[in-house]
Amino acid sequence: MALLSVKDLSIGYETRNGMVKAVDNISFDLGKGRPMGFVGESGCGKTTIGMTLMGLLPDNARILGGRIAFDGRDLVTLTEDQWRSVRGKDIAMIFQAAMNALNPVYRVDDQIKEAIVTHQPDISDEELDQRIMELFDLVEIPGDRIHNYPHEYSGGMKQRVIIAMALACRPQLIIADEPTTALDVIVQDQILKGLKAIQRRLETGLIFISHDIAVVASVCEDICVMYGGQIVEMGTKHEVFSCPRHPYTRTLLGSYLSLDNDGEVSIPDMRESPDLKMESGSCRFSPNCKACSNVCRDGIPKWIDISSTHKALCCDEGIIGKFHDAL
Amino acid sequence: MTHYDPEKGPLIDMKGVTKEYNPRKGLFGGRQKKVLALNAIDLSIQKGEIFGLVGQSGSGKTTAGRLLVKLEAPTRGKIRLKGELVNDLYGDALKTFRSKVQMIFQDPYQSLNPHLSIAETILEPLVVQGVEDRDSRREKVIQTLETVGLLPGESFYDRYPHQLSGGQRQRVAIARAIVLEPEFVVADEPTSMLDATIAIQLFKLITHIRDTFGMTFLFITHNLAAAKYLCDRVAVIHEGHIVEVNTAEKIIKSPEHPYTKKLIEVQPGFRYSRR
Repeated sequence: MALLSVKDLSIGYETRNGMVKAVDNISFDLGKGRPMGFVGESGCGKTTIGMTLMGLLPDNARILGGRIAFDGRDLVTLTEDQWRSVRGKDIAMIFQAAMNALNPVYRVDDQIKEAIVTHQPDISDEELDQRIMELFDLVEIPGDRIHNYPHEYSGGMKQRVIIAMALACRPQLIIADEPTTALDVIVQDQILKGLKAIQRRLETGLIFISHDIAVVASVCEDICVMYGGQIVEMGTKHEVFSCPRHPYTRTLLGSYLSLDNDGEVSIPDMRESPDLKMESGSCRFSPNCKACSNVCRDGIPKWIDISSTHKALCCDEGIIGKFHDAL
Repeated sequence: MTHYDPEKGPLIDMKGVTKEYNPRKGLFGGRQKKVLALNAIDLSIQKGEIFGLVGQSGSGKTTAGRLLVKLEAPTRGKIRLKGELVNDLYGDALKTFRSKVQMIFQDPYQSLNPHLSIAETILEPLVVQGVEDRDSRREKVIQTLETVGLLPGESFYDRYPHQLSGGQRQRVAIARAIVLEPEFVVADEPTSMLDATIAIQLFKLITHIRDTFGMTFLFITHNLAAAKYLCDRVAVIHEGHIVEVNTAEKIIKSPEHPYTKKLIEVQPGFRYSRR
């Protein structure tokens, strides 16, 4: 059974210029202990999904429809009090800017203890210390640094503390929103390897959000590609990266620079940013789509299966199929 | 094709440049050690090159860029632009230098003044450098906007930064930097805040500007893949030392310094064949 099952979820933000639909009718299932990656550009709705799963949407956001089944509960209907018992305990989050996520006036171990005590008020001091030691061990911070203040840590160490904090209550699901974006490449590499090893060892479900496809590829087994609030393609890492079908996925992968592909990088000509006010259900990539056909003009995109795990959202089966022929 | 020619002399060069920062004494007079951001580095960049400076945070790469545009002064060492010493410039000579050397900053959300319209932002250097005629100034701004791909130029003229996307803002920052047609531009991680699809378009723009105006760029980045794509030559900087300088191709294919090897190893990648 899936750990997390999202069905037809739509989320909008009320703005002065009317309702903006940041997430449009998305569905996905996350298996127990699986790492799943969400990749897309800024404004594609990936962070909104993360915030929804943590019950941390800002005041002007509205869940317009859909269900989020997690551990037998529908997260959409939870009240703020009910959220308090889920957040941090069953679902935890690793935030983007680790530098700012720690309180500078408390020692790091006290900050992690706070997370544990909140959910287990009757835990004994010995057990608490024991747990802290385990957590620091897990994220590979030497024991003699436990009582330090955040400013005595490097950026990478702070991010490790944030990971330890997320793991403190042994959550079933961790949401990591751009956890390495503020770090440089060498530290990023260490953090990603660490996160992946811990995720495998503890068999936690992981939702990993990033704009960097290579980072997502290094951690996740299943990939969802998002554009303009819609998931446009989903599949295993291998399926999405080695035979991408959706025109947007191909644009995204084609414009990514790595050390060995600079001869074949294609420069996309995407002038329009996605129109988030577009009618729900219509293809939001169409204004930028090079493959758009007559069928697309007034069609409604639907999921086209490529394999039992791989599918793409498009109006025209021909477009998705054509890439198949080309491969 | 590389724009590097071993026979040519440098456009701008640094000789034995050292930069120290002295941390201010704390409230309780605590003594902290000096920070050596750059340690006797030599660097020479030729006209028309896009030169990459690659390193991780704290390596001194931004300090090097700031010294080259004279936002800061070196503690020791000499910087020359076309053979002329830059270190002690002041007054009119400094003003002329400023028109020849420009900088593009990392974060387009912070580097543009939100109170100034796009036109005012780009006009400012023209006014400072005394381009007198209003009409010709306006024309120059529109022309520059179109060069950086903000088309049509008139439609961006009176807009404000908050009305633009991150990629468009960075284009405005580039327009501001090139409006005086400088000889040398330092671009400090200009795309690290932007998405891959936008970043690659900006790389194309920088190459286009180099090819059209013959401008020389120093491209500062932590992303080796980007440096390889964009640059003719690359210098790898580590803890204030330049550890390796070579053509981009050679640095990636046959790195010599252990740090360069490490840097290559940790570049995230994924296997994706277009076939």
